[in-house]
Amino acid sequence: MRELTYAQAINEALRQCMKEDERVILLGEDIGVYGGIFQVTAGLLNEFGPERVIDMPIAEAGFTGASVGAALTGMRPVVEIMFIDFTTVCMDMIINQMAKMHYMFGGRGKVPMVLRINIGAGRGAAAQHSQSFHALFMHIPGLYVAAPSTPYDAKGLMIEAIKNDNPVIFVEHKKLYVEKGPVPEEIYTIPFGEAEVKRKGSDITIVATHAMVIRSLRLAEEAAKEGIDLEIVDPRTLTPLDKVTILESVKKTGRLLVADEGHKTCGVAAEISAMVAEEGIFDLKAPVVRVCSPDTPVPFSPPLEQAYIPDVKDLLPAIKRMMEYA
Amino acid sequence: MATEVVVPMLGITVEKGTILEWMKKEGDPVEKGEIIFIVETEKVTTEVESPASGILAKVIVPAGVEVPVLTLVAVITEPGEELPAKYAALSTQVPPVEAEKVSQAEQVPTPMPHQVRPAEVAEAAPGGAIKVVPAARKLAQDKGLDLETVSGTGPGGIIVIRDVEAALKPGPELAAKVSTLAGRLAKKEGILLQGIEGTGVRGRIMRADVERVIEEATAPSLGKVIPMDSIRRVIARRMSESAFTAPHIYFFTDVWMDPLLNFRRDILPNFEEKFGLRLSINDLLIKAVALNILDFPLLNATFKGQEIYILPEVNMGLAVALPDGLIVPAIARADKIGLAEIIRQRADLVQRARSGKLSMDEIERGTFTISSLNQYDITYFTAILNPPQSGILTVGKTRDELTLVDGAVKEKRVTSFGLSVDHRIIDGTVAADFLQNLKWKLERPALTFLNL
Repeated sequence: MRELTYAQAINEALRQCMKEDERVILLGEDIGVYGGIFQVTAGLLNEFGPERVIDMPIAEAGFTGASVGAALTGMRPVVEIMFIDFTTVCMDMIINQMAKMHYMFGGRGKVPMVLRINIGAGRGAAAQHSQSFHALFMHIPGLYVAAPSTPYDAKGLMIEAIKNDNPVIFVEHKKLYVEKGPVPEEIYTIPFGEAEVKRKGSDITIVATHAMVIRSLRLAEEAAKEGIDLEIVDPRTLTPLDKVTILESVKKTGRLLVADEGHKTCGVAAEISAMVAEEGIFDLKAPVVRVCSPDTPVPFSPPLEQAYIPDVKDLLPAIKRMMEYA
Repeated sequence: MATEVVVPMLGITVEKGTILEWMKKEGDPVEKGEIIFIVETEKVTTEVESPASGILAKVIVPAGVEVPVLTLVAVITEPGEELPAKYAALSTQVPPVEAEKVSQAEQVPTPMPHQVRPAEVAEAAPGGAIKVVPAARKLAQDKGLDLETVSGTGPGGIIVIRDVEAALKPGPELAAKVSTLAGRLAKKEGILLQGIEGTGVRGRIMRADVERVIEEATAPSLGKVIPMDSIRRVIARRMSESAFTAPHIYFFTDVWMDPLLNFRRDILPNFEEKFGLRLSINDLLIKAVALNILDFPLLNATFKGQEIYILPEVNMGLAVALPDGLIVPAIARADKIGLAEIIRQRADLVQRARSGKLSMDEIERGTFTISSLNQYDITYFTAILNPPQSGILTVGKTRDELTLVDGAVKEKRVTSFGLSVDHRIIDGTVAADFLQNLKWKLERPALTFLNL
């Protein structure tokens, strides 16, 4: 199968949906002429014109709110917020409008809208352009939260997000945009709430999101040399969360490590750990471990930033400790 | 480290016990699990095991003294260890003081009923609990393994899966589930431990279990002297107390059983399909008697000093015969609960009565008793009241009789019911009314059970 990058896979999903359905429109900063800060929307302005690929002023709350209105009145907007960091200025639009309308109109209105954001440190972009607080959106009822880790998942989840009648927060990862992988040419969807076991193993379950999936897969090769067999479960959507696949894996391995690039406290990993503690405690042979970003802002200094990003250097000692609980 | 020995909690309603006998003297070496004293309460006499191995350094409460449960009664020290000064000062002639109870209750963790305080736990982990990962705890629980016997090899000495698995392997498994003394006795008497039902914590085989097997193997024979065990002693005391303090009067009546038998047969398939439970005549009987008591509350009364207490709950005691005696667990609130719940409670109580796992509360809560010899070829019989209850119903065999109905000879199934009552509380006419009404109810099951 041909290979695309993660950015190209999302671009293809957008193009195919726009071709298929003229209600699909794009809004965002520098998404038209420039093609988006990570080139996810490259070429779409030429193909679909300025009425459907609309460059926005630097006013995130404004165009997020406009998109909620457009969605309520029949359009299917896909909004790009340049960095997750900027969603803070549109939280009222997201939490009080986008997530609530369907509920508050007693189901008679719907908001079929996708809000694209990206997380991840590692580009020297400092504390206001590198954050990973996607767990915030898991906390809000009414929002779906997609978290693709591969080009294949990115395309399938994006098409599902656009076709879905509910608001979706589509969380991309900066460091993954250039990662390549096989992507089918045709339109396909990945249902929400279906995790994928990215690697089968017997000793430790690693529930990993986004770039932590890639890092865990790399770790698995090193771990195999030491005789540790990792199973890597990628939830793919954080809301809804595929508890069954996670619990089945933990039942098999008896050990759980959750790897997510968000902060450790009250994060994605905290939620998944708590869920397993509630529903699968008697399968646990060892304490649950979370490998996440520290509870500090992302440092600007490149060496500090590298130390900050959770990766193999943090995962390897963690799994060795877990294996002491034989 | 010195280990305190306390009177264990013996049930929810038991507050105190009398030390009948010390099996060890001060200065004697004792082994963990060895019986060191016998304590008697209102309903049971229990052997108490030593919580630790060492020297019985100090007996604080001598035999014959009644003390509250959890009272400190002795101290065990390790060989060579001095008796700590705080214990040395305690008098051996302590009367049953309340102050003692309070100070000890504060220090001692509450043990489970029928269980000696697990002092070794405190030794193993100063935090108070054994450290064990959840999956290992679950495995141990499923397999009935006592975690106190497992040593942990995980980080910081935590018990991990491999420790439990190792402990469950054939050889060590048996060792873990048999008390030292039981093992020794079984070896001496040449008895196989396999197949012996343990009554200790999590099914651990105790010395009493082995003794029971030995006893069963040696049935009574002419000229043999049988020492009274604790159950027999309690039965003897309570039966004579009842027979000689409560003046008994007896009443009998024949109940036409065909309506009840047919009623059961008719509803049995539907009942089984709906609840997955098999309804017996006994269950219907329990319910009918409980309902009848609502009409005659005096039969739910007990005699205390100058007053008659009519008890607020109707808890129906059921006499269960055991190889070495008889025990009467009671179905709670038999008047209020449905038939399905009666069946569940009855099956559970009888099964646990046979395996010796009833709680004191289940034995003590009864307010009326049914004793059935329906399976025997006994026409009718009298019973001694189960004190402090005021009534007991006996059930004889169900027999065929011929009867004249409108001039024609018909076949009938008939059971004789007997009622013994405490004549101090209940007059003859009340007892007669009670039995007659019960007969009426049993012969009209559709009306009796209409609301269930």
